[in-house]
Amino acid sequence: MRTWLRQHRHALADALRRLASQPLGAAFSILVLAVAIALPVLAAVALRSVSSVTTSLETDPHVNVYLALDASDEDVRRVGEALRAHPEAASVKFVSRSQALEELKSTTHLAELLASLERNPLPHAFTVRVRTTESARLAQAKEAWSAIPKVDQVIADFEWSQRLGRWVTFGRKALALVALVLGAAVSFIVGHLIRLQVVSQRQEIEVRQLVGATAADVRRPFLYHGLIQGLLAGAAAVFLTWGIATWVSAELRALTPEYATEVKVVFISLAGSGVVVGAAALLGLLGAWWAVSRELRQFSPSF
Amino acid sequence: MIQFSAVAKRYRGGHEALRGVTVEIGAGEMVAVTGKSGAGKSTFLKLAAGIERASGGSVVVQGQNLGALGETALAVLRRRIGFVFQDHKLLFDRNAFENVALPLRVSGFARDEIGRRVRAALDKVSLLPREKAMPVAMSGGEQQRLCIARAIVNRPAILIADEPTGNLDADYARSIVDLFGSFHQVGVTVLLSTHDEASLALLGCRRLTLAAGTLAEPAAAPSA
Repeated sequence: MRTWLRQHRHALADALRRLASQPLGAAFSILVLAVAIALPVLAAVALRSVSSVTTSLETDPHVNVYLALDASDEDVRRVGEALRAHPEAASVKFVSRSQALEELKSTTHLAELLASLERNPLPHAFTVRVRTTESARLAQAKEAWSAIPKVDQVIADFEWSQRLGRWVTFGRKALALVALVLGAAVSFIVGHLIRLQVVSQRQEIEVRQLVGATAADVRRPFLYHGLIQGLLAGAAAVFLTWGIATWVSAELRALTPEYATEVKVVFISLAGSGVVVGAAALLGLLGAWWAVSRELRQFSPSF
Repeated sequence: MIQFSAVAKRYRGGHEALRGVTVEIGAGEMVAVTGKSGAGKSTFLKLAAGIERASGGSVVVQGQNLGALGETALAVLRRRIGFVFQDHKLLFDRNAFENVALPLRVSGFARDEIGRRVRAALDKVSLLPREKAMPVAMSGGEQQRLCIARAIVNRPAILIADEPTGNLDADYARSIVDLFGSFHQVGVTVLLSTHDEASLALLGCRRLTLAAGTLAEPAAAPSA
């Protein structure tokens, strides 16, 4: 066991020595890998940011029915009954004008402005959950509800948020594909870099084998090399992405109006960062394994 | 200790380097393999060291049939055999100490033990003051001795050397022969190849003569 640990320690020291012997080359390689890893991480940050907006949006199929400002309580009762009786209405929720004003005050930075108004500018409204998203049936229902006396406006504004939700789902799938492709690229880049090292150190490998190194002994320092490169590249990618996200976040804050509080950059979680670094290290390891195994097959058994 | 039974070796491309070689080398014995260039001396030594595999027959070293060993077991066996290469096979980007330490690092020795053993091996070949020297700054004779130090650092029971006096002048060749004689004196089985008659006379050991891949009748050890 102690011998095995020592062999690993020697291999790790060897890998670090190789990295330190060419600091500029190693730094450049790690930067190239970091950029490749940073791309899907950036895409993930963008998706998380968009998702945070869509989760606060109403995406269930619904129609808002706004009443005229002079609608009385009797009008409210009559319109509500008409809406509930309609076959396309699954459920009907009443939002009074005072309730709407309170909600507007609490969810925006307009409280001061709204307080200065002499009267409530908002109408009574009904939110009707509809049974269909089919545009023809929806149009018929909207037409019928618009014709009810004291109904001012009928708006079906869930469609764009539904479309956005669908884009986010598509984005998640596209991100998985991009991560897969770039992950393979990272593995191949590490593999290629390690392969170049293996070729350049062919003589040393040959001598090691001659003095009793097994294939595992030969492979070990290169695996550590790949692992360290992947690890550093993963950490650099997270750092790079965090830097970009912080900058974009500051720019967004400066550009977006104050009431648009939901527009913000959401960085990947600490656990997510750990997964990125771990996955990059694993890809580096796999790339190194592939490269060394490929080259070793050409060395053995004859020296 | 080393047994060859009807051993043949054919390389890719069809060149037959050895055929029907049967010989036994006892523990603690010193044997010189002689013959002209291309006679199969290097192949014989590489087969004995587990560096090459026989195409036919069997090679048994320290009771282990090398043909039956897997790559890993064969590599581990090589750790117990010191080999001095004709072309030295030194690492020119490492100093003398690191070159000699390589077999110990491969075997997973502790740092202190590596330091002790490497310095002892360098001292044995009179290179201790040159432990930090790079091979490129060493003479041919020093490189040869460095290669010997690397071969003995694992304290092998078998020491094999391929033309260890090949490119050396007479004085240096004598010192190398004396060195192998001293290893033999302490019980190490020594197997070396040479076509240098002066070195053979100095060695005064059993000779195996190879000609076109076959073994001639073993000659008795000449009187020193």
